[in-house]
Amino acid sequence: MEASSSSTSSPPPPPPPSIPASSAWADASPLLDAACRDLQDGELIHGENFSLFGAMSALEIMDPKMDCGIEKSGYYSIDEAIEDGIAPVPLSLDRTLDIQRTLDVMDHLFSCEATWHKGHTLAQTVFTCIYLMRMERTSSHAILNSFCRILRATCYAVVSVVSTARTHEEEDLFTMSFGLPLRDEGDEKCLSILNSVEETIARQLRACKAQALSRKKTLEGLESLQDNPDLEEDYCRALLCRLRFRKHFYHVVTCLRKPHGRGLELARKHVASCLTELSLMLNSRDFLRSQSNNTQQQGDEICTTASGVRPVGFDASLNSRLLSPAPPRAVKLLSWSDAIRYFEKLLRDLDIVCSSPLDPVLENVLHFVVQFQKSVPDLVPRAFLQTLLVQDGKLYGRDLSCDVISRALSLPDIIGDKEFQMNEFVVQLGQLEFALKREFGETRNVLLHENMCMRVSKQLLVWTQEHTYWVAYRFLILGFELDLYSPSEYCMVYWYMYVVLMKLIEQMQLRILATRRKGKKKKDHSKDSSRDTAFPSSCLLLQCYVLLSEGLSMMLAALRNESNSFQLPSIFNSEQEVDWHFDLLQKARLPEHITYYSFRESASHASIADLTKYNFFKEIHKITPSLRGSFASEPEKLAEIRQIEQVAEHNRIALNIISQVGAGDPSLRVSFEFTHHPHFAVAVVKRS
Amino acid sequence: MSAAAAEATERGEPSGGGGEIAYVSYGGEHHLPLVMSLVDEELSEPYSIFTYRYFVYLWPQLTFLAFDPKDGKCVGTVVCKMGEHRGAFRGYIAMLVVLKPYRGRGIATELVTRSIRVMMESGCEEVTLEAEVTNKGALALYGRLGFIRAKRLYRYYLNGVDAFRLKLLFPRPDPGMHPMMMLGNERDDQHMDSPYL
Repeated sequence: MEASSSSTSSPPPPPPPSIPASSAWADASPLLDAACRDLQDGELIHGENFSLFGAMSALEIMDPKMDCGIEKSGYYSIDEAIEDGIAPVPLSLDRTLDIQRTLDVMDHLFSCEATWHKGHTLAQTVFTCIYLMRMERTSSHAILNSFCRILRATCYAVVSVVSTARTHEEEDLFTMSFGLPLRDEGDEKCLSILNSVEETIARQLRACKAQALSRKKTLEGLESLQDNPDLEEDYCRALLCRLRFRKHFYHVVTCLRKPHGRGLELARKHVASCLTELSLMLNSRDFLRSQSNNTQQQGDEICTTASGVRPVGFDASLNSRLLSPAPPRAVKLLSWSDAIRYFEKLLRDLDIVCSSPLDPVLENVLHFVVQFQKSVPDLVPRAFLQTLLVQDGKLYGRDLSCDVISRALSLPDIIGDKEFQMNEFVVQLGQLEFALKREFGETRNVLLHENMCMRVSKQLLVWTQEHTYWVAYRFLILGFELDLYSPSEYCMVYWYMYVVLMKLIEQMQLRILATRRKGKKKKDHSKDSSRDTAFPSSCLLLQCYVLLSEGLSMMLAALRNESNSFQLPSIFNSEQEVDWHFDLLQKARLPEHITYYSFRESASHASIADLTKYNFFKEIHKITPSLRGSFASEPEKLAEIRQIEQVAEHNRIALNIISQVGAGDPSLRVSFEFTHHPHFAVAVVKRS
Repeated sequence: MSAAAAEATERGEPSGGGGEIAYVSYGGEHHLPLVMSLVDEELSEPYSIFTYRYFVYLWPQLTFLAFDPKDGKCVGTVVCKMGEHRGAFRGYIAMLVVLKPYRGRGIATELVTRSIRVMMESGCEEVTLEAEVTNKGALALYGRLGFIRAKRLYRYYLNGVDAFRLKLLFPRPDPGMHPMMMLGNERDDQHMDSPYL
């Protein structure tokens, strides 16, 4: 602010030329002064656009709940921490202790890395390591330096995969790495640096073994890791598995990024090697524990190192100023054992990614993704799958989506016709085709082309609708997996699933019929008229879901009608508004002409008596035997059928009990549990 | 935004003999310290005084306090806002707190119901809020009021816990027209983004 006291001696400066001379100028300083005096602690002056975001961005300095920059360690900078000796190089002048401490740093970094993968910032996890923040300091310590360098290169590669894939959500902090020394010249050489360190230690290990055999006292020509010859072999082993894990993991990350999935096979070998090294790391724990000072050990649930000793060289609050201006997020590091478990799961998920047959058939790709999702993979493997599937807008960076869809539509005649693809295939559908027909109807040779357009267009429409319903169905069952539905909504959810599934089957059958008709033209007409009625087992499996959905929906509706249970609250709104759950589907008009009233209509007549007469759950048992036969070679599908049968059987029995007791009986308690299937509930009947 | 420290799930019975709770609409600065200390004590997220003032100055009519008449102690509060959000007039429940010993007596339900009623009368089409997925009490309370779980927000809170975005939709003025049939209606489940990013 300008000096507020205006003296009469000096004339006020002339106004800038942009301001009209006619304006009268007054000194606002006294007014501002008075306003400042009036402003109490906790008050502010704001404009009209002041938002909740603005209000919440204000932080109270020195409030530990809000101020993430508040000093907890007492260090104002990394340099100060280093001067204070919290990250010495070498880690100890005692060479045995130096190796022990190096292993602790490696292990703690491993726990930090897993914690980062699980959704925290790099700054608060891996980069709490001062050795990593000031890597040049470690150049005299080859083991630590090579380890830190390859870890940093790996972090950089993983950030790049996750940013490319964009499978992370807006709330994820994973890729936030501002201000961190994540990349440095020479990191490309990290592998060769690590290899030479590994080679030295491996030689030392061999020498140890040879010495044990020949009982020689000295290790000629080799420099030992530390001073106690009895421990040398175990320390070599402990270091080697950690360094080798880093090497193979780096290979996994780089191989998976190779274009067109060319590195998958090699990546898979490195995944297997990583898993081997992980188990060797676990094996080294007993030795490291036995060597560490017991008084410093932490419990297994919280300790972040194999030895149980807290590592040197870390300061959790040093990077707090690099974080966004927000209250500090609590970071609870995974324990070393949990980190091992995390990496085992990560590697198993990556192994699934590596097992991709790079199948160009869309159905199989979708199936692969659905199967992959079942293991609930974390962010990193999801990102790797995404970058494998879509590169440069093409499937595996190889097949144009246009070709993939052509193949799915089985359109051999047209695939080659690039002009056709450009003009009609992607751009124009349905209505446009009709317009074309009208406009060019006169011209004979256009008509020929146009007939083909019509056929393709129809097929494409059917195919698109089928896949849209498939997505809609997945959208609905995702609600169960995310726990978004309450029991009072189940009735409507299952009804919706039933409607979507019916449509899905309908489109599927249309598509199959269309391809058959096409195929038959070339063959004999009379032979296989019976085949038209037989649809593939995938249709029959959907039929089971239809029966389960309709059965559950009607059972819940009957319970509502007859026992007054599973009612939706009606204080502020009605069931109609709850229907909003399906808002996204409704906006996409999926399915068409389906409204809340269609649901009301079918639910209002539901009764237990009718349900026992036409028992959806019984019907399922008529379908499953033939399904078993056709899925005989697919254990996953067989397991699914078993689950379906269990849900059907439990609900059939529950329905019988309810029917015998009477739904209106006040002692009857019905609840729904997902004990046999993640999406289809089982009714549990109790009497109080 | 904030989790609600809600009451137990027992079927909405009124006060268990502790005398009638007095409910008061926000009356000015003298109420602010009461609201702040309750929220600070019970909720996980930290808020600055500006956040509290933002709510209580702009929408004093949506903030309520509950007092125990025996000793005049403030035992619960609700803090809300409302405004345009992506084409809809939306109410938002920011904070709901009832002190532990007073839970299970319907106080939170009464507080939040009062706010929702004012929102409804002010023309809100919907009400939203976030609650921790682990806060069973709050989820049950809002479930009983007709809120549905619209979305799961991964690691929404600073303590790393996921949140559900809950939503209550009011009936449309025209009873013949179902909301989902009104196309071009730009309602969206998009949320108020977490400000901590």
